[in-house]
Amino acid sequence: MDKSKKRESVVSRTQAIIAVIPLGDSDSGLLQVVADSLQGVLRLPVDLKSAIPLPEESYMASRGQYNAMAIIKRLAEIYADGYLKVIGVTTYDLANPILTYVFGEAYMNGVSAVMSSFRLWAGTGNQTVSREHFLERAVKVAIHEIGHTFNIPHCHTDRCVMRSSHNLIELDHKLNYMCGYCELFLAEALTKALKEHPTDLKRQETA
Amino acid sequence: MAHKHRFMVVDDELIVRESLAAWLEKEAAVVDRAESGEQALDLMQQNLYDILFVDIKMPGMGGFGLLERVRQAYPTTVVVIITAYGTVEYAVEAMKLGANDFLVKPFDPEGLSLLVAKLLEHKRLLEEKQYLQSQVSRCWGGPDEIIGQSKGMLELFEQIVEIAASDTSVLILGETGTGKELIARAIHANSNRLGGPFVPINCGAIPESLMEAEIFGFEKGSFTGAIRPKKGLIEVAEGGTLFLDEVGEVSVKMQVDLLRVLQDKTFFRVGGVAPIKADFRLISATHRDLNDEVAKGNFRQDFYYRINVITLRVPPLRERREDIPLLVRHFIKNFAQETNRNVDSITDEAMQILVEYDWPGNIRELENVVERAVVTARKTIIGPDAFSYLKADVICAPRESAALTLEAAEIAHIRRVLDQEDWNISRAAKILQVDRTTLHKKIRRYGLERASQELSTTPERA
Ligand SMILES: Nc1ncnc2c1ncn2[C@@H]1O[C@H](COP(=O)(O)OP(=O)(O)OP(=O)(O)O)[C@@H](O)[C@H]1O
Ligand SMILES: [Zn+2]
Ligand SMILES: [Zn+2]
Repeated sequence: MDKSKKRESVVSRTQAIIAVIPLGDSDSGLLQVVADSLQGVLRLPVDLKSAIPLPEESYMASRGQYNAMAIIKRLAEIYADGYLKVIGVTTYDLANPILTYVFGEAYMNGVSAVMSSFRLWAGTGNQTVSREHFLERAVKVAIHEIGHTFNIPHCHTDRCVMRSSHNLIELDHKLNYMCGYCELFLAEALTKALKEHPTDLKRQETA
Repeated sequence: MAHKHRFMVVDDELIVRESLAAWLEKEAAVVDRAESGEQALDLMQQNLYDILFVDIKMPGMGGFGLLERVRQAYPTTVVVIITAYGTVEYAVEAMKLGANDFLVKPFDPEGLSLLVAKLLEHKRLLEEKQYLQSQVSRCWGGPDEIIGQSKGMLELFEQIVEIAASDTSVLILGETGTGKELIARAIHANSNRLGGPFVPINCGAIPESLMEAEIFGFEKGSFTGAIRPKKGLIEVAEGGTLFLDEVGEVSVKMQVDLLRVLQDKTFFRVGGVAPIKADFRLISATHRDLNDEVAKGNFRQDFYYRINVITLRVPPLRERREDIPLLVRHFIKNFAQETNRNVDSITDEAMQILVEYDWPGNIRELENVVERAVVTARKTIIGPDAFSYLKADVICAPRESAALTLEAAEIAHIRRVLDQEDWNISRAAKILQVDRTTLHKKIRRYGLERASQELSTTPERA
């Protein structure tokens, strides 16, 4: 029973082995931009899936935020068989058991990542930034978190997207692409990952 | 020194351990987890940690107990205390007991990030200072004569002559202290590059933060402190030989850069725009199994192929015992001269002890043992008493064949030195002439533990 369900999800997608998963109410423009930019960086087809609700167990009632760790765990359970990597995108605020907030979260070498657009609107004072600026920020967070899932650690190159950033000033300072080293490491990780997932590829061919 | 930082999160709550460890892993660090102070101490016997993150409230010895033990046994390890809102007064007390800093759950990500950066910067400065100080004594060259008449060494000499003339990269494999640097110098001395310099770089000793500037040099103003341009070691090696000792310790980013130099034969100084021609022969050395490191993803395969065009293996001393008497006489002569002592020979019985001993530290260890004997000798001839401490193990060891293996001898020797130095890893490593990382690895591999009678003297605190 479980198997047939998995098959379905595999057959229904085209060639994609990366997926963007909207979590809860979505911002379709944002999702499209995230999917497109990941496709550009990874040079692999990216699926934009239909939305699923935020996992119930990830809500931290005392803090009014969602636990990013719990979300990536859940995403990995749901999608690990069908995709190489998935990234959940939510408009709700994310945190984890030890941090007061996070822009995004991923385990090194994990299957799944998650990001939130909640804090990415803030400008100076009470202002919000332009939609363009907001989308630019989201793209950086998405690439950064997907980078971690390909085992790329934080980079110390000045404006590399893999540099760690914990506030919007630092995020804005970064460029929306990887430095030469990180790009090389990503290319190698991708080659390796594709080799290690022959079943995935085979399934695609038959699909 | 491995270039990856190593952290440990000590917390009885799984969720805290997991979240904090996952966060730290993104800093390219190795992160271990422990559920209790007791488990943390076990792990500390095996690895060297840069920073411990310690929950103050845990069952068993608790955070305070652990802090106290760490302060005694590992004074340079940084300890950050984790507390929850409402128990901050514990943190203050912990700071008084020597914790370096504290965090209150849940942390602000910016604060956590700044704190870790600050502590690592502190460690980096210490390491750089140590490295720069060590450079002063590095200039001592020592005699270049290679002693050896064993079959293994004679073969090696032949290979050296054969390969010296070509300009291909050479990788020298061998245990610590087997004379890898000496072999590298011999290749250089037999090559057409003899007129150029021999430039050794100990990749394990240079902090990663200094590595790029040391190797590639820099232009004036390329970073704060760069008040005048400086030649990198690659430039210094022009027309000569560059020797990368402990090449297994080079970071992957540096491997990418070095590979580029080897391929393009040009490079840039840090902050420089003009390409500089590189003209050196590369010889590298390691005591690690690089094949294994490549398989584990710690070492780049493309770089490995480049540096490993020709491989030389230097046999450990225990596989060429017939060389021991030659070496011993050579060292006696050298040290007697150097220290102005009237010592010129050694009794057969004393020599027998040296020939039978297993020399885990190889020639470097033999050199130290002979130096000590020369310096403490009362007569012109060195007798067996001078080496009785080496024999002790063989006599005390149980007679079963298992105990007579090389490994058993090495274990016994390490244990004795550790006990003698009260398990101070730095001091023991110095005596054994290995780096601390190597010693930690051996302790873990052999499962050595400190005799536990002291554990109970630490008062328990929750
Ligand atoms: N065949 C030899 N004849 C004379 N002296 C030797 C010989 N081999 C090594 N030595 C001496 O032993 C010491 C250690 O040698 P060396 O530094 O070359 O070892 P190594 O293998 O490079 O060690 P490490 O792996 O720790 O860097 C040096 O003082 C060296 O002069
Ligand atoms: Zn990150
Ligand atoms: Zn980078």
